[in-house]
Amino acid sequence: MVKIRYLLIGVLMVIVGIVIAITLFPSEEKRVKKQFHLLSEWVSKSPEENAFTMLQKMKNIGSLFDAHCELKVPDQSLSGTYTREEISTYAGSARSHVSKLDLKFYDFDIAFPEKGVAKVTITARLTGKSTAGEEMDETRELECLLRKIEKKWLFSQIEVVEVLKK
Amino acid sequence: MLLKRVVAREGEQVEFRDGKLFVDGKEIEEPYVRYPCSWNLPPRGVEQDGIYVVGDNRNMPIENHHFGQASKKRIMGVPLW
Repeated sequence: MVKIRYLLIGVLMVIVGIVIAITLFPSEEKRVKKQFHLLSEWVSKSPEENAFTMLQKMKNIGSLFDAHCELKVPDQSLSGTYTREEISTYAGSARSHVSKLDLKFYDFDIAFPEKGVAKVTITARLTGKSTAGEEMDETRELECLLRKIEKKWLFSQIEVVEVLKK
Repeated sequence: MLLKRVVAREGEQVEFRDGKLFVDGKEIEEPYVRYPCSWNLPPRGVEQDGIYVVGDNRNMPIENHHFGQASKKRIMGVPLW
């Protein structure tokens, strides 16, 4: 009886150890996903957002990007290589035209073609309302490349995939 | 992931005239479209291994609606009813 009790305690400790290890040392996939969740959080805007929060979010958005990031967004004539400061400024300018914005990511497909590189195919949905009161609802497939630089996964390429050709 | 209706398959010609859908020159009955539209789209062929998809919600300008040709490989599922 005593042996079974020790065995159960042992098994329980192993399970607790595994849970702690998973929590403290998330997989690379989770770390990559986290960057998307942060991007979603910082791009999104509530109607009550104040100027201080707006500035903080703009700064935060830039921190998710590599020093130089290649963007391919033909719809917005946004194609080329941009610095993280330029991306921050662009995001701030775009956010100033909306009163409410919500960015959500779905259908994560993450691959690691080489060490320190993550290729993510994802669906992005952007909903909100412009300051003129116009409703927005855009869904796009994105192909993103993130590089691990100084233990942080940073966006180094974002491309809007043309899924439907009129 | 997008939820769209397949209206034409490879080799077929798709066209919109005053909001009516035509496939290979024949008007298609679309009882599922609730709101009329006035879309116009010149005829275009569906490429090999392609499908042409359009959403049912067409009460918006044609420029704002996401529809068009996609690869068959992108089909993820079918309706269950």
